[in-house]
Amino acid sequence: MKKLNKFYLLPLVALFFGSCTDLEEKLKGEITTDFTTPGLVVDAGGGVTDNLGGVFAELRNAGSANHGGYYSVQEISSDEMCIAAKGGDWFDGGILVELHRHTYTPTHDMVKNTWNGTYNAINTCNEFLAKAGITANETAQVRALRAYFYLRLCDSYGNVKLITAKGVDAPQSTRAQVFDFIESELLSVIGVSSVSAGMDVASSPLGTTVNNNRINVYGALGILSKLYLNAEVYKGVAKYSEAAIAADFIITKSPYKLADASFKVPNLGRRPKVADDPAELVGYAANFGANNESSPENIFTVLYDENKAGGMNFSQMGLHYSSQFTYNFSDQPWNGYATLEDFYNSYEAGDVRRKNNFLVGPQKDFGGNTILDYASDDGDPILNYTPKINELVPNSKREAGARPAKFSYKQLGRPDMSNDYPIIRLGEIYLIRGEALARKAGNWADALNDVNTIRRRAGVAEWNGSQVTAASFLAERGREMFQESARRTDLIRFGKFNDAWWEKPVSQSFRNLFPIPADAILTSGSGANPLKQNPGY
Amino acid sequence: MKRFLTKLTFSLLLVVAGTAFLTAQKVVSGTVTDPSNGDALIGASVLVKGTQTGTITDIDGTYSLKASAGDVLVFSYTGYDDQEVAVGASNTINVSLVAGKLLDEVVVVGYGTQKEKEISSAVVRVTREDFNRGPITDAAQLLQGKVAGLQVYNRGGDPNRASTIRIRGLSTVGANVEPLVVVDGIIGASLSNLDPNDIETFDVLKDGSAAAIYGSRGSSGVIIVTTKKGSRNKDLTLTYNGQLGTSNRSRTLDIMTPSEFAAAGGSNLGFQTDWINEVTQTGITSVHGLSAEGGTEKTTYRASVNARNVDGILQSSGFDQFNTRFNLNTKRLNDKLTIDFNTSFTTKNQNFSFNEALRYAVIGNPTAPVNGADLTKYEFDEAQFGGYFEALGLFDFFNPVSIIKQNKNTGRRSEFNFGANVGYQIIDGLTANFRVANQRNGSNNRQYYSPTSLFRGNATSPIRKGRANFYNDKSDFKLLESYLTYAKSFGSAALTLTGGHSWQQSNFESSFFQVGDFPNNSIDWSNQIEASQDYANAGFISANSDASPDERIIAQFGRASLTLDDTWFVNASVRREGSSKLGPNNQWGIFPAVGVAVDLNKYLNLANVNLLKARVGYGVTGSLPRENGLAQEGRSLVNNPDGSTNTRIFRLANPDLKWEAKAETNFGIDFNTGRLSASLDIYNRVISDFILNVKVEPIGGVDRQTRNAGQLSTNGIELALDYDLIQKDNFTYNTGIVFSTYKSKLDKYVFPKEVRGNLGAPGQNGTNMILVQEGQEIGNIWGPVFDGVDDKGAPKFKDLNGDGKFVVGADKALDSLADMQVLGNGIPDFELGWKNSLTFGKWNVNAFFRGAFGHSLVNTFRAFYEPRISTQTAYNFINTSKAVDGLTAARFSSLYVEKADFVRLDNLTISRSIGNVGQLKNFNVSLTGQNLFTITGYTGADPEPALAYYGAVDNGAVEDFNNPDVLAPGIDSRNNYFVARAVTLGINFNF
Repeated sequence: MKKLNKFYLLPLVALFFGSCTDLEEKLKGEITTDFTTPGLVVDAGGGVTDNLGGVFAELRNAGSANHGGYYSVQEISSDEMCIAAKGGDWFDGGILVELHRHTYTPTHDMVKNTWNGTYNAINTCNEFLAKAGITANETAQVRALRAYFYLRLCDSYGNVKLITAKGVDAPQSTRAQVFDFIESELLSVIGVSSVSAGMDVASSPLGTTVNNNRINVYGALGILSKLYLNAEVYKGVAKYSEAAIAADFIITKSPYKLADASFKVPNLGRRPKVADDPAELVGYAANFGANNESSPENIFTVLYDENKAGGMNFSQMGLHYSSQFTYNFSDQPWNGYATLEDFYNSYEAGDVRRKNNFLVGPQKDFGGNTILDYASDDGDPILNYTPKINELVPNSKREAGARPAKFSYKQLGRPDMSNDYPIIRLGEIYLIRGEALARKAGNWADALNDVNTIRRRAGVAEWNGSQVTAASFLAERGREMFQESARRTDLIRFGKFNDAWWEKPVSQSFRNLFPIPADAILTSGSGANPLKQNPGY
Repeated sequence: MKRFLTKLTFSLLLVVAGTAFLTAQKVVSGTVTDPSNGDALIGASVLVKGTQTGTITDIDGTYSLKASAGDVLVFSYTGYDDQEVAVGASNTINVSLVAGKLLDEVVVVGYGTQKEKEISSAVVRVTREDFNRGPITDAAQLLQGKVAGLQVYNRGGDPNRASTIRIRGLSTVGANVEPLVVVDGIIGASLSNLDPNDIETFDVLKDGSAAAIYGSRGSSGVIIVTTKKGSRNKDLTLTYNGQLGTSNRSRTLDIMTPSEFAAAGGSNLGFQTDWINEVTQTGITSVHGLSAEGGTEKTTYRASVNARNVDGILQSSGFDQFNTRFNLNTKRLNDKLTIDFNTSFTTKNQNFSFNEALRYAVIGNPTAPVNGADLTKYEFDEAQFGGYFEALGLFDFFNPVSIIKQNKNTGRRSEFNFGANVGYQIIDGLTANFRVANQRNGSNNRQYYSPTSLFRGNATSPIRKGRANFYNDKSDFKLLESYLTYAKSFGSAALTLTGGHSWQQSNFESSFFQVGDFPNNSIDWSNQIEASQDYANAGFISANSDASPDERIIAQFGRASLTLDDTWFVNASVRREGSSKLGPNNQWGIFPAVGVAVDLNKYLNLANVNLLKARVGYGVTGSLPRENGLAQEGRSLVNNPDGSTNTRIFRLANPDLKWEAKAETNFGIDFNTGRLSASLDIYNRVISDFILNVKVEPIGGVDRQTRNAGQLSTNGIELALDYDLIQKDNFTYNTGIVFSTYKSKLDKYVFPKEVRGNLGAPGQNGTNMILVQEGQEIGNIWGPVFDGVDDKGAPKFKDLNGDGKFVVGADKALDSLADMQVLGNGIPDFELGWKNSLTFGKWNVNAFFRGAFGHSLVNTFRAFYEPRISTQTAYNFINTSKAVDGLTAARFSSLYVEKADFVRLDNLTISRSIGNVGQLKNFNVSLTGQNLFTITGYTGADPEPALAYYGAVDNGAVEDFNNPDVLAPGIDSRNNYFVARAVTLGINFNF
């Protein structure tokens, strides 16, 4: 054996027991540990450096303005938007029809995406809050942001797990418990134990600096006022007084103003050869334009940028393929989302919001020429959006339906748009105050002032007290809040979500909550805290 | 001088022999020849039976040795039947050895060879004469249909796409499904750098007991390739091999003619365009191979160059490959030291063209013009599209002629291999082996999309038109192995022991960047990317790079083989192996195997039976994941508009991640009567601990984690028969079949059931068609049953459970009340190959039929485009015999699931041996037809089984071939090549 060692083991040692015999996997092309570097946020105070860019990016990741998640389930399940099946196009296994007709099931893909996207965002918040060395302001903002994500879950699914640390499981909470958690988190970061007209928010680490991509104390109050407005739905306890107080505090104490005629931005979608295209967007229209970041109305928005903050794809989602030539888009749109005819018709002819919020009629290209669609299905190649949609399924005309355009499109637009998307804006805060006052008093006339503030800006006649009813208020709110993921929640609060509308029969009340996704039920089943499905599913 | 030296050697041998024997002996001499051509056999062995005395024939085929009357001389030569002749009165014994199938043929197994007889596992050897012929584009095609249980499919036959290879069906669910390839001992080599002309044999290790010696990469089976070597004592011989062939499309889909289309309500633009004709061509293939081989007593060598130029049937698709290979084998130090070198270098210039052009040719409006200027009925700005017409307002359609004429999609690949094996016989019976190998590959791919191309070139964008993609990768594989082999006989028992160590490391790096916005069409801007306007607007530039970690495998292995009485054969092996890809808690695995074989005929003594062997083997093998890093937490970097960066989790860590395991039991019988040989294998394999990306609750930031889960069991039967039906002097007919069948059942899974395989856009997203369910077979196609058309033109479905409700929505596929059922299965019930070889004088005819039976395919073209959708009138309509009148809505159902049984004349070769023509020897001419006909009821382009799904791809998106979904077989995707029929003329000769 000694001889054998000489012959065999020596070279073996030389060959194999050098420096590279371990099996540790040292990844070169991937990051495996967390880190954050701060960025500079320009705000009204001149600018601050913070670490929150990545946490607030979760608003984009969580499907606020793209197809397939939160935005889609909120909008298509309501009476303001639909995606009709255009022959083979946009049937997608029926899930879009299911959203419209309220026949969604626990395996619905978008219901699952909404759940996962929101929990992923909450995890990023949880990871951030566990970091060392973050400021009180950062902590407070992220707690408020996490509370907002839980508000989405409370609104959509009701009974969810309150996860407050990465990967640490928790039992399923009732919707009321989720409500309480959101309320206590927001009150805590606002620095008060309850809302009151004379409350002192000076001690809140959130501060009052205006920066609509972050949450200041008014942003947190705005989220809280939304929570209170829906307390009767979420918890079974009316909190209209609190909702009105929170909204009123913002209106009276904050520096925000409605974007009125004095707020103008250049019209980035303008076609020089089309006379109807204004040089500037004014007021309401300006508040949602691609250059809306300086609007005085927006309190808390999701930052979108075609280059560095993608995720708003309305131009792709809503426009016909050939509308590419109107805006010189870099990419061909998808011809999906359209507005229901009844919803479109709820606007008066002179309502500035109707002109701003929709594309209808024959479409012209950048040069002012009529756009021709060589694949047209109606024998007429002219691209013409008709408010009427012939049917939801299976053969909707490809040019049918007024197209959403509130977040207006710009020339040379990319698939990702640059319009900041409001979560809290003063216009809605007026509507919250008006509605909360009316509901608190049991008298819709109490909403008159606030609703007229909104109607004035829209260029339509002001109402008198008798014209404000639950139904008319809901319609006004719909016209104002179109495309802002508010309609489903509003219809539920007004008891209208289960009504029949175009191509939708009456639905049962359990539909007011989405089902807990089947995957969530399944994957939680093996753990200590299995999720229970919402009733009815 | 050489002759003299040889004779001197022989004389010395005689002296040695003479002194060793004391009995009265005489010198026996003679010549050993091949009767088929009278050639001398050089280096044939001549042995006095029962002794160590022997010699070999010299370069004239002559031998001479001392023997006594009554001795028996055994003549043997590789590839020929042994012959025994008793020494009588004559001093001259001339022998003709007959080429034949030797029972003692040596088979390559892991780290050594064994006689075929000693094998106790399922190993099949395929030699040169059985290879498929014609314009072979990748080495795997040589094997198509030749080995029972080996599936080789290249759906459609895209020359630039490697075949899908499966041994005994699905062998792993979450890991690498392709077999491990070992070329001349080098593990993990690639088949793509092998020219088919250089391959001598394939040994396919089918079962676990054979493959276990390869451990954690053996689960998908092992294909061992032996390249051609030089012959000893042979003068330099040159061989030329040439082929010239043409290929044409053989099957497409039935679509409407312009008049049918107009009559069916299609958008009539007034032209007559055959889009498929516009984008296909007659492909010309030429192959030239030249090799030089020879050898001396101690050293053999072979060098070859091969040039292969293949055009596909899609215009501008094809490749040029140039390959060189060199093998040198020598013996030194009294033959104790053996050294083998092999090296190869391959370059391949590929023109991928765009398979999408075929897809859009199928659905192109047949009344639309190719060129925009022809359209006069409406205004059209053809200059914007390089002169071509585009339908514009249509999702997922681009002028296919424009796609291939205006854009480029090319790749260059080079592969370099080097291997050396050093063996040293330390003492009698004990040999040490060291092997070192290195394989370096590089790819350089480029796509250029013209500024006037609508397809990926953004021709409609006013400012940002044109795009250039650059992709480079490099990979490097190193292998160091050493092992000892000890062989010893004890009376009638013989023992062979092998043990060793293996170290392997792979590295990979890649870079990609994309720029666009080129001013016009004046040059191919991918050669001058500084012209890109994207520089002014850097946000458009897309770039990424990647480098793998040092991907390492370290193993120790051992094997014992015991032979008793030349009747009982026992083999046992074990490999302990660790991989860097697995979780730190589970990096090492043990892979044992054991097998026993017995030659029953030693006991039964059946007349005319050479062999009746029964064998049983059991072995455990593993599979490793494709990706790196699966055990570790992964985070992506996010750059925010405010300049901040943060990371976001995309993968949860799993330190317990381990290899996927396969345990396989194989029972086999081999039977041989000389004329008839048969092999039957019955097996059971259980795969467990799939490496799966499993759904988890999203409370940790991501809703997926890579985990081990699930169990799949497969039972199968394979039969190979080979029969020399006619054996006359001037006429022989040999025929054989290979038959295989298997059923795979999913015993356990992460969920009781799920559906996979999304049909896709337009309109059928979320339509998952393949049911994956515990307790069920793999590959079940799942959906509602078509039941006519309603008054709106929408399909009606059957109320299968009779509850009066129609639960048929695609997202209801798992609903207990769903009116859905299994509509077919994507995996064939059985597969058959039937070979026929006739020799008539100098003529030889080979016909090879191949078929697969019992599988179904989802005909996705029909599912999207056959209904006469009134709002979708600018795509041509698919118009097969299965089209349903009045159906105007596209919705997946049983209507689109078709049986795809087929029989195909894969290969018909007629060759004639001409003999010597002047200086040229062994001149041979052949004519080969590939895929001459297919009998099938399937209405799609190709009835071959689709073993994996690459996802729905639409509107110009790029298909990802790296992530096949093996649990979703049975979907005939729209992105397919068309099957070609090829005719090839071949010649070869020596000189």
